[in-house]
Amino acid sequence: MLEAGDEAEALEQLHEMGCTDGLPVVVPTPERVDRMVLASGLEADLVLGEMGPGMGVATVEKVATAAVMAGCLPDYMPLVVAAVRGVIDPAFDLTEMQATTHCTAPLVIVNGPARQTCGPVASGFGALGPGHRANATIGRALRLTMINIGGARPGSSDMALLGHPGKFTYCLAEDEEHSPFPPLHVARGFTPDDSVVTVIGAEAPHSVLYSGNADDPDDAEKLLQMLAVGLANMATNNAVLTGGSAVVVLNPEHAEIFAHANMNRETVAKRLWELTHLSVADLERYAAAFAGIRGDAETYPAFPSPEHILILMAGGSGLYSMVMPSWCAGKHKNSAVSVKVESDQFCEIPGLAAVTESPSTEQ
Amino acid sequence: MRDGISIARLGIPSVALVTEDFWPQGDFVAQSLGMPSAPRVRLPHPVAGTGTNNLRHVAEQIVDEIIGALKVRPAA
Repeated sequence: MLEAGDEAEALEQLHEMGCTDGLPVVVPTPERVDRMVLASGLEADLVLGEMGPGMGVATVEKVATAAVMAGCLPDYMPLVVAAVRGVIDPAFDLTEMQATTHCTAPLVIVNGPARQTCGPVASGFGALGPGHRANATIGRALRLTMINIGGARPGSSDMALLGHPGKFTYCLAEDEEHSPFPPLHVARGFTPDDSVVTVIGAEAPHSVLYSGNADDPDDAEKLLQMLAVGLANMATNNAVLTGGSAVVVLNPEHAEIFAHANMNRETVAKRLWELTHLSVADLERYAAAFAGIRGDAETYPAFPSPEHILILMAGGSGLYSMVMPSWCAGKHKNSAVSVKVESDQFCEIPGLAAVTESPSTEQ
Repeated sequence: MRDGISIARLGIPSVALVTEDFWPQGDFVAQSLGMPSAPRVRLPHPVAGTGTNNLRHVAEQIVDEIIGALKVRPAA
């Protein structure tokens, strides 16, 4: 237990100890942490798992401490816990991902009713930008667990050459209400009533500009080709290392182009998978050291299967979708992990629950 | 909105066409530039890329409103 004369002194102590992300945090007093633990409905000493590379033990209390520091409302705790469970899953390769020189951060995607009951988590305009408390603090809480439990510190254990701004927070919800497709978590085997957090180590969002034209019979195909260029151009790890996953965040207009062409998530993913078959000659030219043995084929797939391309709809309506290539390394090649949110035990704290009920999906 | 307001300030009738999703931003810009009543007409969203037929349909629906807005001299 740390001691300090006042909050300002405590904050400086936390900064000096390297326990923050560089921004001011809410000082995690025992009372604040206790309330956050209570909100989780879980025992304080319940072990969620170990977080590499420091192999710290993530207890509910430590996760609650990070949530307090990040500025979370108690309502958000089930989502923070689910996100931590996600990155702890061996398939996520947390230890390797935290230590890599690549610029990767866990993107937290929220689906299902918890978008509202544990939020609201924004899915519309600027969902990945500033101004949405749940998005800002849930992702930040996960990062603070990765720093303080996982021990990731820049230049000594987190060797990202530059990192990216999503390492402060990287959290959004899917705009299920406006999407022409069933929600992402349903495509991944859950029911619509489940609340699910999906985490994937991802690069910063790369913008894909496409101005649709409903009079053009090739509208959807052209959009697919543009998305494919962003997803796996020869400068990405997905193209060079292969074997990993990546994320496509369609804006409502682009999603509508696919719906208009009678395409669904599966057919979009399949076509993107086909369009990200790349030239072996190009790989050998630009990345000979990674080319390996490709046999006699002239092309190779950047993604093992269409299911490795995660597609969701979020953001305002306009010309820009986003793609997030990934690192594609670690034992599991940077897999996406989905975790059901356990909110049955969630305990509402009188006077501390979110006071806003505004929908996260307003455009 | 900015173009519409600049033109209105020159004394030339103007109207801004603002799609549904960008209507709040239109209000914000009009307010911040000091012409909250700057004439504007609401369009469905999206308009761009929705095809010639739809553009014609939208135009037919709003043309009278545009003409009406052009007849109003905004305050400020």
